[in-house]
Amino acid sequence: MIRFDQGFTLLDGAMGTLLQQNGLTPGMQPEEMNLTAGEAVTAIHRTYVEAGSRIVYTNTFGANARKLAPTGLSPEQVIPAAVRLAKAATKGTDALVALDIGPLGELLEPMGTLTFEEAYALFAQMAKAGAEAGADLAVIETMTDLYEAKAALLAVKENTALPVLVTMSFEATGRTFTGCTLASMAHTLEGLGADAIGINCSLGPVQAAPFIRELARHTSLPLIAKPNAGLPDPADGSYDLTPAQYAQAMLSCAEAGATLLGGCCGTSPDYLRALRDVLVDQQPVDRTNTKSSFVASPTRPLPIDGVRVIGERINPTGKKRLKQALLEDDLDYIASLAVEQMDAGADLLDVNVGLPGVDEVSMLPRVVKKLQSVVPLPLQLDTTNPAALEAALRVYNGKAAVNSVNGSEESLATVLPIVKKYGASVVGLCMDEKGLPATAEERIAIAKRIQTAANAIGIPDEDLWIDCLALTVSAQQDQAAETLKALRTVRYELGLNTVLGVSNISFGLPNRPLITHTFMVQALCCGLTLPIINPNQKELMDAIAAHRVLCGEDAQCSEYVARFAQETSAPAVQTAGQNLSLEESIYRGLKKEAAGAAARLLESGENGMSLVESRLIPSLDKVGTDYESGRLFLPQLLGAAGAAQAVFEQIRTAMSADGSTPVEKGRLIIATVKGDIHDIGKNIVKTVLENYGYRVIDLGRDVPPEIIVQTVQEQHIRLVGLSALMTTTLPAMEETVQQLNALPQPPAIMVGGAVVTLDYAEKLGVYYAADARQAAELTKTILG
Amino acid sequence: MTNRAEEALRYLGAGRAADGSAAAELRIAVQRMLEQLDHVITPNRLYRLFTLCHDPDGSVLLMDSADQAVLTLTGKLAQIMLHDCHQAALMLSTLGVTFDSLLRTQQARSMADAAILNACGNVLVEEACDQTERELAAQMPDLYLTDRFSPGYGDLPLTLQPTLLRALDANRLAGVYATESCLMNPTKTVTAIVGLSHRPQQAKIRGCAYCSLKETCTIRKDGKRCDSL
Repeated sequence: MIRFDQGFTLLDGAMGTLLQQNGLTPGMQPEEMNLTAGEAVTAIHRTYVEAGSRIVYTNTFGANARKLAPTGLSPEQVIPAAVRLAKAATKGTDALVALDIGPLGELLEPMGTLTFEEAYALFAQMAKAGAEAGADLAVIETMTDLYEAKAALLAVKENTALPVLVTMSFEATGRTFTGCTLASMAHTLEGLGADAIGINCSLGPVQAAPFIRELARHTSLPLIAKPNAGLPDPADGSYDLTPAQYAQAMLSCAEAGATLLGGCCGTSPDYLRALRDVLVDQQPVDRTNTKSSFVASPTRPLPIDGVRVIGERINPTGKKRLKQALLEDDLDYIASLAVEQMDAGADLLDVNVGLPGVDEVSMLPRVVKKLQSVVPLPLQLDTTNPAALEAALRVYNGKAAVNSVNGSEESLATVLPIVKKYGASVVGLCMDEKGLPATAEERIAIAKRIQTAANAIGIPDEDLWIDCLALTVSAQQDQAAETLKALRTVRYELGLNTVLGVSNISFGLPNRPLITHTFMVQALCCGLTLPIINPNQKELMDAIAAHRVLCGEDAQCSEYVARFAQETSAPAVQTAGQNLSLEESIYRGLKKEAAGAAARLLESGENGMSLVESRLIPSLDKVGTDYESGRLFLPQLLGAAGAAQAVFEQIRTAMSADGSTPVEKGRLIIATVKGDIHDIGKNIVKTVLENYGYRVIDLGRDVPPEIIVQTVQEQHIRLVGLSALMTTTLPAMEETVQQLNALPQPPAIMVGGAVVTLDYAEKLGVYYAADARQAAELTKTILG
Repeated sequence: MTNRAEEALRYLGAGRAADGSAAAELRIAVQRMLEQLDHVITPNRLYRLFTLCHDPDGSVLLMDSADQAVLTLTGKLAQIMLHDCHQAALMLSTLGVTFDSLLRTQQARSMADAAILNACGNVLVEEACDQTERELAAQMPDLYLTDRFSPGYGDLPLTLQPTLLRALDANRLAGVYATESCLMNPTKTVTAIVGLSHRPQQAKIRGCAYCSLKETCTIRKDGKRCDSL
């Protein structure tokens, strides 16, 4: 067992520059030298060992199958060779060999198109090869995407028994290029079981020291500092620190808490020697890590050090529209619920997709990915299905919360190990196999049992939140007081954070908001820290803002003042708008007014279809004509589409209430072709078409022709819209058109995108849509 | 300030009848969006200088300090533009993944605002290139800068992009990736080449003839030009 917590451990320095001095040419991959110039590689490792390195990194930074592809080599060829070369250099010393794992060289979803699962498989292949070849440990380094770091860490831990170090590369802003914060990194990677974490590459040691200090605040793991030899000169890329200056500056990283020290770009054995010399009379600092409760997305670490609001809206129970969206696979609707709650002030979002007819094991991870692509808020995964929970935790980027485990033996035995493995926080429900106890004392006993079981498996108190359960007061009136009593003990005696689904309390009573509001305030006074509420209910959010002032959480009342200052300065509600006609509301892009007008028309007996045909579409047509003539612009065209969408929501609500079929004028597929990642144009067309009443099956971006062909066949599609933005992706458009035309009953095809022209479309023998407006016209002609 | 808003409006197609009341409303929305963006986005900028080597076959080679060719520019455009130049700067500006992430959120919130955000992003990334150009000019007051040009312009192929990014070490220094189809990710990223010479540049490339959008440009369709709006 390697110990990283005793004294300093010297890592190594740069490899690339030394390889260049030994014959690496531009265009050649450094890993090829493991096979072509093995002696030189071993010699480099040896100079580092002689300079004092106790852990040398194998020459495998880019030895993943994707990056190696152009060389014709595989990780199974390159990695064992690299491990052997490093072992030859450490032979007879106490230095260890670390399998070096760098980034894959491509952005992961949602930024890029490489999936988490693909990334995991590429890393797993490297990890297995390295472990079999006898590496002593693994290092994952230079990561800028927490998601990629997670994929690599899981791959090493699940496929080998190697200890694993993880370092990421941060910019001067204290964030990585993908926006990941130091706190998010620390909480996520410690939860996932990294053995030590830190930073590499990034900036110089002077700039790295405060980052190490920040990491030390968020983790008890040993810390790594492996920065560059200072800052690069923008004109030629050279670094500005000498070995002596570098070594001296590295002491500030040691003082900040780092014990594993080395160098990255621009460093050499001389730098390591200087570092070894300055460390001779130094001792690691004592680190006292104050435990703190956190959940996180990469860009938003959320300390649970006061009242934090959990948005409850993504839960299909009692919500017809969300049920419909889940059944129709309409993830965009779910995303819009998330954005709405974020805008209303939610701090994290509960996500529940449990519904008969929906396969939670595949749906929950998909929804998690979708939500994380549009909102930075941390998520609370809410499911009773352990397989769905594990699938979702696996693809969650950051440190999630889990809702929930209960006090029954079965629940504790199935849920807690999953929570521990993925390093999440977990909500413990005060109930067990015997049901929900009636007294506070019994609930507290269950809370304690959950606490003991969680601690035993390695889940600390900071990651355990207790839900004392709110029951409907109209049915069991004595229970409200019991809940509050239990809450007080859990918060102030057990010292745990507390969760409560507040709205349950008021079922069946008139003026529900008043009961909910009052109970929430009582609960906050009894130590509720994580109310689960609908953040769109302004009174509840106002009450929380007031509570945070009164209990001192909102220092100088600044958030409260900002909240209400904003309100008074906002323009008064436009009462005049309320009586606008549907047509006028749509033309002016006024969502609320359009919805109101539609609701009035539907109430007065007009049916949905005729409303669409005789009012909505003519209004959109007028907008379209004015757009074409240059009187209106793209945002206004889209604003009108947004208002039309609000009208459709009204019609859907009315129809799901009376059980009639939804308005659907026809279906089409829309996709951005293989290789193309620009999708805003396609999304614009989608928005406009949907609001003409068409059902748009959006296959996304970078879509292979085969997927489009398959969907056309399965769903009997008569129209396909294809978009391409760059000349380099036009061949993919042609390929897709050819494959579609080869079908026995080829669909009509329309194409568009910045570089697509009428001539080009004619050459392909397909329709040309210059913009969203023309796409709508074509769709009307083709689908009716 | 106003210029930036006008520029964004132009991306939104408002060049065509920009006097209407709709344009006035939109102008306010664009200005507000630009102000918000300035708070959350700091463009990342890179440049690096290279010595040029003019090959007899007409191609232009960019040489690094070890006198190795890191990039070969083929085609007429590069040949004409860099004819009088002994040096060139490669430059890159990117709004990073932060912008793409804002754009995804905005699309879930409101497609209309997303279109505005997208246009404002174009303005920001071009401004960042202008800034780098100004810095280069200030650093080398004795030299003349050519107009900047980019892969995808004229006959300079997009397929240069991966090599160009490597020459700038753009992945490590700015978090920019090239996809297999030579697109850049993050999407609001611009790379460009600027030649440096001892004489004022004769060749100009601003104008429709060099623009890759000349076939589909709505401004051109209306008989106008974007440089004369």
